[in-house]
Formats: sequence, structure tokens, C-alpha cells
Amino acid sequence: MRPGMASIAATALILAVATTGLRGPASAQPAQRARDIPQSLMVEHQETLERLETLAKRPPPVGPQARKVLELYKEHSAREQEFILPPLTLLLPMSEGKVTPDMRWAIPMTDRVRAEQEKIYVEHATMIDELNLLLEAARTANDADGIDFAQTAAADSLNDMELLVPMVLVIGDYLHAKLPPAQ
Amino acid sequence: MKHHRFRALARLLAVAVGVATPAIGGAWAADPAAGQAVYKAQCSICHAVAPGRNSIGPTLFGVVGRKTGSVPGFHYSPANLGANITWDAGTLDKYLESPRAVVPGTIMTYSGVKDAAKRTDLIAYLETLK
Repeated sequence: MRPGMASIAATALILAVATTGLRGPASAQPAQRARDIPQSLMVEHQETLERLETLAKRPPPVGPQARKVLELYKEHSAREQEFILPPLTLLLPMSEGKVTPDMRWAIPMTDRVRAEQEKIYVEHATMIDELNLLLEAARTANDADGIDFAQTAAADSLNDMELLVPMVLVIGDYLHAKLPPAQ
Repeated sequence: MKHHRFRALARLLAVAVGVATPAIGGAWAADPAAGQAVYKAQCSICHAVAPGRNSIGPTLFGVVGRKTGSVPGFHYSPANLGANITWDAGTLDKYLESPRAVVPGTIMTYSGVKDAAKRTDLIAYLETLK
């Protein structure tokens, strides 16, 4: 490591320690940290993003409409990664009969999914509206990738509504039932 | 799209000169060909029209006159399965305008066809699928 880099690293370390110290180990409500999502879904999201970014570079009519879908998808994906998908990481241990207090972090997320079911539905419906326009644009341009993307994304939307969201709700109910409220 | 604009203009002109296109029950005459275009743009991403061909949604072949949740080989949501609606021009018109208002809990993620003339055309096209 070059001296300049070492000094930057040292400064960063001091700042990090100082910041942690300021927060203190017993801070009342630490900010909720980002949680992982199942790896299979991470790969799927990445693939979707890459395909959309490719379509977004196409000339009209596909490119501009793909950019609209991309914008919506990024917002939707951020919300999914924030609170809809992380509880699904508990499925494997739960399927082995393990429910432990350290899983409690998922309860506010599953409660939020239950509270926002209608909003989630509207997000998907809006996405389908834009995918319809993308499909139409892709058909006009005879763009096989665009057509395939729109149809695949519509199927993914059904998958979310038919499987993922209900699974999150079931996980929430199970955690509520197995973990008594914290004292 | 241009076709719809032209038809809307024609309807407006018909009203202006007091001449209506042939109508049933006070509604504007429907155009199945225009409805097919609406189907292609709005429905075909999820629904096929060939008999027995289910996709993300059930086939629309024979949809007019059938009950909700009755297509063999398609797994419905509990909401659609229990809706107990027979699809006719009236029920389809309401459903296509706002699916979740008519079948709360449906997982058909679609905002609806807000243009009444387009819905009329679409239903006229669906009526041909038999």
C-alpha cells in the first residue's frame, strides 16, 4: 500500500471508530440495517436489470419505453429489497423447524407487507401497464428480446403476487405465533 | 391508436349532426376489430385466445357466458374462484374498468381499461371468441 493510501486508510479507521463510539453500543434504536435477500432472487433481479438496461439503449420506440420500465423497476426493486424479500431468507431455517428470537427482525417487515398489500398490487398493476406499452413498442419494432422481456416480466409479476407476497405473510404469521412479543 | 382517434372523432361528428351509429341499448355500436386491437395492446401479455391455451391468465376463448374461476387447468386465486360472477357485457364492462373493485383480492395485476368506448369494443371482440 502506498503511504498516501495508508494515511487515508488510517484516517478512515479513526473516523469509523470515533463514529461507532459516538453512537455507542447501547443506542436506543439503531437504524435498521439492510438485510440480505435470497440469492436466487438477487440473481434474478440483476438479470432483469441488465436486460432492461440493454433494451433502454435501443432506438425508439423500444428504448424510451424501456427506460420508463427501468425507472419503475428500480423503485419497485428497491422496495422489494427493503422489506418484502428479506424475510424469505428465513424459509430454510423455518423449514427445519427453527424459529429463534434473532428472527424477530423480520416481523416489522412482514407487518409492513400486510399493511401495504394494496400499494404493492397497484405497483404491479402500474408495471403491467408500462410492460403492455413496451410489448406494443417491441412488436412494432419487431424486437424479439423486447417482446420476450415484457412477457417474462409479466409472469414474474404474477409470481410475486401469487407466491412471494403470500409467503412473506405466512412467515410473518408464523413468527408472530412462535415468538412472544418482546418484553 | 390512430384508428381510435378517428372513431372518436366520427362519434363526435355524429353527435354534432344528430346522427348516431347503430346502437344497442343506447350504447355506441361496438367494433370487434377495434376491440381486437385493444386486446392485443392490453390483454395479450397475459391472456391467449386459443381454446384451452392458458398462460399467465386463463384463455379468453369462450369468456363471455362463463362463470368466474371455471376454466379447466387454470389455477385461480381464491378471490376469482369465489367471485361467483357470470361474464356478460355488463359484468365484463365493470370488471375491465377496475378489476379489483369488482373482485377484491384478485391477483390480476391490471389497472383496467378506463376508456368506455375501448371497453365496449373489447367486449364485442371477446364475444366473437366462441
